[in-house]
Amino acid sequence: MTVAITRTKAEQGLTQNFEAVAAKLPGNPAVAEARRAAIGAFAALGLPHRRLEAWKYTDLRSHLKEALPAAVADAPSSLTRAELDAALEELADVAADRMVFVDGVYDRGLSQAGVIAGVRLAPLAASLASPASEAELNGTIPGQEAVLALNTAFMTDGAVIDIAAGSTLASPLLLVFIRTGSGGKRLITTRNLVTIGEKARATVIEAHLNLPGAAAGHSNSLSQLTLGEGAQLAHLKCTIGGDGESHVASLLPVLAAGASYRAFQLTAATGLVRNNVGLTFAGEGGKADVSGCFLGRGSEHIDTTLVIDHAVAGCESRELFKGVLADRARGVFQGKVIVRPDAQHTDGKQMAQVLMLSETAEFDSKPELEINADDVVCGHGSTSAEIDPDLIFYCRSRGIAAAEARSLLIESFIGEAIDKVTDQALNPALMAMARRRLVGLGT
Amino acid sequence: MLEIKNLRVKLADEDKLILDGVSLQVPKGQVHAIMGPNGSGKSTLAYVLSGRDGYQVSDGSILWNGEDLLAMEPDERAAKGVFLAFQYPMEIPGVATMTFLRTAVNAVRKKRGEAEFTTPEFLRRARAEAARLSIADEMLKRALNVGFSGGEKKRMEILQMAMLEPTLCVLDETDSGLDIDAVRVVSEGVNRLKSKDRAMLIITHYQRLLNYIIPDRVHVMAAGRIQKSGGKELALELEQTGYAEFNNRAA
Repeated sequence: MTVAITRTKAEQGLTQNFEAVAAKLPGNPAVAEARRAAIGAFAALGLPHRRLEAWKYTDLRSHLKEALPAAVADAPSSLTRAELDAALEELADVAADRMVFVDGVYDRGLSQAGVIAGVRLAPLAASLASPASEAELNGTIPGQEAVLALNTAFMTDGAVIDIAAGSTLASPLLLVFIRTGSGGKRLITTRNLVTIGEKARATVIEAHLNLPGAAAGHSNSLSQLTLGEGAQLAHLKCTIGGDGESHVASLLPVLAAGASYRAFQLTAATGLVRNNVGLTFAGEGGKADVSGCFLGRGSEHIDTTLVIDHAVAGCESRELFKGVLADRARGVFQGKVIVRPDAQHTDGKQMAQVLMLSETAEFDSKPELEINADDVVCGHGSTSAEIDPDLIFYCRSRGIAAAEARSLLIESFIGEAIDKVTDQALNPALMAMARRRLVGLGT
Repeated sequence: MLEIKNLRVKLADEDKLILDGVSLQVPKGQVHAIMGPNGSGKSTLAYVLSGRDGYQVSDGSILWNGEDLLAMEPDERAAKGVFLAFQYPMEIPGVATMTFLRTAVNAVRKKRGEAEFTTPEFLRRARAEAARLSIADEMLKRALNVGFSGGEKKRMEILQMAMLEPTLCVLDETDSGLDIDAVRVVSEGVNRLKSKDRAMLIITHYQRLLNYIIPDRVHVMAAGRIQKSGGKELALELEQTGYAEFNNRAA
């Protein structure tokens, strides 16, 4: 049977671009084979579009008009430490070990990670070249997800983090993915493989940034996170791309029994963002908190899609997302909580709240509970509202000027989400970065 | 001196006058009470004094120390010393009470040309004032009014009033919903603020509060007008006779 499938220019371009760079992409022959299989899978799937339920509000097929040439390790970067720190804003001041990826390629000079007991850090490119890579690629060969297929096909680099059982990291690991615009508009594809051993503890921060003035492009990132029994991972993702940047991220944590995963996403000032979290509780007694704050202006589009799979009993999940939308910005929140038939005593709560600062902003919210067990506590809610004029009056009656009252109320609104990050250094850093994006928003 | 002359006010989107020619003078150093039945326009007067949106002044004037209050934004009025203690104080999730207090106090001090308090100085003053109102330190760390009881919210209003050092205090139904102990604490807070430089306007439905805050003058408001004025004994009279006489007059 043959079905004629019409592919868009971008879809055809992605396949052609793969052929152009395939020989330059890192990895042993098995990896090369996996890449080829993946681009084949993509060719059959095409870009996700609005008729797929999970992509209903974010039609990548119509959004991505062209396929950008894929970044490969073809030229050394000239990015300086000072430029990097400026782009990192307050995150530069957080005491952390760093792995820096410039235009999708590990930069040894800018990275600073000492030898940490119980921790193995490696750039993915090196890992893919070693014979052991098949194990690392295991399970990442995508089936029906086009963006994962593209990630496998094009990934150039990323962080491989392996934390031994019982180890505790004293400081966070900061993974920086920065676009410099070198070589023009490009597709940058990265993948992180994070394994937290039994009872090990770590904080991993992903910062996805564009150097000011850099030609924007497309980026596709994937983080696979495996938490062993009783492991604890705090996982921050900060996405501040820039005008015209299209960023698609997949975050796939799997929690063994008693593991704890606390994730927070700060998303602002990026043309289009899709953060797709697919979390699986694989062992009983796991706890997850996936929260975030997104700030949209202009015609920015920020999509947060969560699938929380309570596959086993006795796990707890919490999600709190707060957004502020100005101008014609569009926010999307899809939160699906699946409770499998055996997942008794599941405790799941979800909330998405948006402040609308303009008449033309849009928020599409689709919470979904799919409950197949009978002894569970699950709830979800979603609100979108303007700033309450009564509250503004109350502040003004106390002498606080209108603009300051608005800022105070907006900051307090997102502060409730940012306070999910309890780290004494990271909380004020995120708040400061968010506050900088609030200046002039909707006023 | 507060001088209200022939004030006529309606809701912006309705025709009916809520205030239909209110005239009133409150000199500095005095406490005046406005009493009246529900719907008489008392709260509207409080809101118009503080500059809330949604009202349209069709006639009359409000002068405070000779300046036209109606021409000022609400925050300018606050800087000029106007303070409204709300009947229903607002909850502000995510803003710690202490943060809110400091933002407000420093905003007002800046506009008045006074130096902002240093953090330790501010904390010292706020804690001392809170202690006088039996407000625990712990409450100052919580989001403003969120989860506070009715009595706690009213004490918080008086705390704000004390910190902002207004010269025209308007208290809108400050005793509503309070038990007798809370009325005493709140009243003591108000009485501490009495001074020769300060005018106070106490709006209340019941006479009870006036046992604790003794007014210099009592005005009866009904149907959007001051119907009768007298000394503090007028409040006791009203307690006996009720507002029936004025309701009839209004009808």
